[in-house]
Amino acid sequence: MNLKEQLEQDVFIRLKQNVDRIQNILGHSSDLVKREFFIMDNSDFEVTVIFIDGLVDENQIDKTILSPLLNNNRNLQFLNELTKSEEIAQALTKKLLLIPSINTVIKFQDAIDELLAGSTLLFVDHCSQAFVLSTQGWDSRGIEEPQTETVIRGPRDGFVESIRVNTSLIRRRIRDPMFRLQSMKIGERSKTDVAIAYIDGLVREGLVEEVLERLNRIKIDAILESNYIEELIDDAPTSPFLTVQGTERPDKICAGIYEGKVAIIVDNTPFVLLVPTHFWTFLNTSDDYYTHFMMASFNRLIRYMAFIISLTLPSMFVMLVSFHQEMIPTPLAITIAAGREIVPLPILLETIIMEFSFELMREAGLRMPKPIGQAVSIVGSLIIGQAAVEAGLVSPIMVIVVATTGIASFAIPNYFASFSIRLIRFPILIASGTLGLLGFSTIFVVVLIHALSLRSFGEPYLAPIFPFNSSDQKDTMVRAPWWAIEKRPVDVKDDPERDTKGQKPTPKK
Amino acid sequence: MIIFSVLLLTFCVGFFGKEEIDDLALVMAVGIDKGEDGQFWITAQVARPADARGEASVGGTEGEATWTATGEGKTIFEAIRNIARFSSRRVYWGHNSIIVVSEEVARDGIVDVIDFFTRNNELRMRTWIVVTEKKANEVVAVKTGLEVIPGISLDRLFRYSPLVAEAPRSDVMTLSAAYVGEHTHPYLAMVNLRSRGVDPEHPREFGSIPQVELSGTAIFRDDQMVGKLDPRESSGFLWFVEDVGTAVIPLSCPNEEGTVTIELRENRFKLTPKYKKGQVSFEAAIETSADLVELGCPTELEHSEIMDILKNDAEDYIKESIEMMIEKVQKEFKVDAIKLGRTFQAKYPQYWVELKDDWDEIFLGVDLDITVKVELNNPQLLENPTRKSKD
Repeated sequence: MNLKEQLEQDVFIRLKQNVDRIQNILGHSSDLVKREFFIMDNSDFEVTVIFIDGLVDENQIDKTILSPLLNNNRNLQFLNELTKSEEIAQALTKKLLLIPSINTVIKFQDAIDELLAGSTLLFVDHCSQAFVLSTQGWDSRGIEEPQTETVIRGPRDGFVESIRVNTSLIRRRIRDPMFRLQSMKIGERSKTDVAIAYIDGLVREGLVEEVLERLNRIKIDAILESNYIEELIDDAPTSPFLTVQGTERPDKICAGIYEGKVAIIVDNTPFVLLVPTHFWTFLNTSDDYYTHFMMASFNRLIRYMAFIISLTLPSMFVMLVSFHQEMIPTPLAITIAAGREIVPLPILLETIIMEFSFELMREAGLRMPKPIGQAVSIVGSLIIGQAAVEAGLVSPIMVIVVATTGIASFAIPNYFASFSIRLIRFPILIASGTLGLLGFSTIFVVVLIHALSLRSFGEPYLAPIFPFNSSDQKDTMVRAPWWAIEKRPVDVKDDPERDTKGQKPTPKK
Repeated sequence: MIIFSVLLLTFCVGFFGKEEIDDLALVMAVGIDKGEDGQFWITAQVARPADARGEASVGGTEGEATWTATGEGKTIFEAIRNIARFSSRRVYWGHNSIIVVSEEVARDGIVDVIDFFTRNNELRMRTWIVVTEKKANEVVAVKTGLEVIPGISLDRLFRYSPLVAEAPRSDVMTLSAAYVGEHTHPYLAMVNLRSRGVDPEHPREFGSIPQVELSGTAIFRDDQMVGKLDPRESSGFLWFVEDVGTAVIPLSCPNEEGTVTIELRENRFKLTPKYKKGQVSFEAAIETSADLVELGCPTELEHSEIMDILKNDAEDYIKESIEMMIEKVQKEFKVDAIKLGRTFQAKYPQYWVELKDDWDEIFLGVDLDITVKVELNNPQLLENPTRKSKD
């Protein structure tokens, strides 16, 4: 009998058979713990508890399962009177076991699934069902501040690897009875817990079905991180643009859920996904909403500038210097020419080398163990710095251009989005270095057309700027004060009012 | 395959002759002279970036900031080609800031100059163009001004020219527009060399280094220069052709020795054509609010009395400048350089059709009635004369 057939069978009447079968299926794994005993020393009631070491909370097993069954003398008498297996089962769940959650399963398949998820199985002799006692409890990292997205002002908690902790972090912020959490298991072998969270009534009609359909379509061995899901449900799988947003911040996820988006929480990763995603949200931070609106708007404009600089500055520079010298103001033209006087390389090659060195340094700095990280930055600053200029390999202005571009790309709050922008920079750079303004504008327009054609779960990727929506502008380029943002984003059609009008504070004089 | 072709493209373009900024000889100023046998002598002042940048430069040695070279040829283009023959970099005109034409060339006709400098795609229409009494190559080669590169200092000369308002701001655009335009004639600013710079090693020899200064206006009939206006006449001329900035009017004290300076602040100029009984006349009305900036009079007059007198003096001064200019333009050069015909055409297009062919004749007999109104203010709190009279 092969494994599949064994799994599909029902639980036997005989305890011994059941235990053997479980051990057989799991191949006598060393972390499989089996504890056989008699309820209250009565040899008629033989039971066996099976669990996997490390996945369960042993203290809980001791207090809620073993102690009551072994020590409780009060129910000895009535238990002796029972003969039928159904009655025994009822007595166990109703009178003896102290564990909060008890299920019964019939099939070995279900029993094994629960066992591997951290539950404890309890088999009773003469009883053709297995009791599933939820005793999950493995070590989890404490809640810390997210490393990838830090804020000046705002909550400092971040998601952890445990899906339960993560859903609780969301639940704590959304005390809405309409909040929905749907769980499923994805991964043929990993059986990873995945949950989607949204508020019924705020979410656009059909969106939840769409998300569920895309998730259910996934047939893959294992889901180890949410990027597996991200790539498998992506709207534009071959595009450098990200159409799914991943974040470590519970407040960001909740803000998204309140705007009618759907969160996808995956077990074993602190990165929770949010769909649909618009491009501009990659340029927003949580800080924008927690600081004064003027500060927030200013910072946001800086970030939009950073986005444009990081996308176009090197290509603009190369384009002007090698094709359109008349467009540079005369004093600047002389300065640039002076700096390039002894540089042997053509400007395009110089830029590519410098950009490459910068990426090299970034990647090396990221991969290095922290104590050696400093060495990278010292060596790196020699490569793209004064030493390279003094050696006559690069011009001083090129250092400024590359450094500014690099800094600008770091100002984009989402690391992954900033990476995709950096990726687009290279085709633009090469085009403008070979064809000048013509090449620059061609590639730029191609990228723009591509971005315009993108959709994320049915919504235009560049909304609400393309297509333009005036009421959503209050939270796009700038962040209007909270009393002015009266409406939810337009996608929330059923219930557009976010807050009542006229809440601008008008204190009496 | 794609990566390979992209790399290939990069390297191809990178290594085979593309004109990058350091491969160009950036011309900063150009002078046009007449050589022997009617040939053109072109003098180009080229910036040497490494030295022009000063001490912060990378490969800079202490050398001249510019390199000046001349070439000759039957046409302007041929002369420029001749410069390219011995220039190690491609001569690039995109950053040229000024074209200096010698009076000799201007008197003969500058149609070639206009043609070349408007036709060539590298040249900008916003390049200044001036006439000099001297040789153009002297002006171009002279080390002038505060700027490292003389060409840039000539450019800046024009930027601040409204401060003195003694020469028009003439660029290739206005020149070609006036040349091509019907019944309009070009005018250009004039520059002159003047020994005004002080040599720090010999400070006693006051003004030993020649400097370029703006000095008046050259008036053209079609493409030939017919005469020049001195700075005083030019200041009257400017009212008709462009906005007068903060011009300075020097006056003398009423009844006493001493000088007064008045600075114009806000100016309004209105030229109204009149057409009555076949007779063309114009009314020019100037309204200006001026500041008294210097009062060097040891006078005992009341403040308001002085202001009244000065107001009238200033009005007379402006009126006199314009009349002097009209006298020259109308009687001596006989050219409608102040665009009266254009103004008339704008107001009376129907009569212009009859008059336009004879305009050159009519212009000579046109009456111009000038009214000047000066509103004189005192920008300081100090009301009384600073200098007391000695009793």
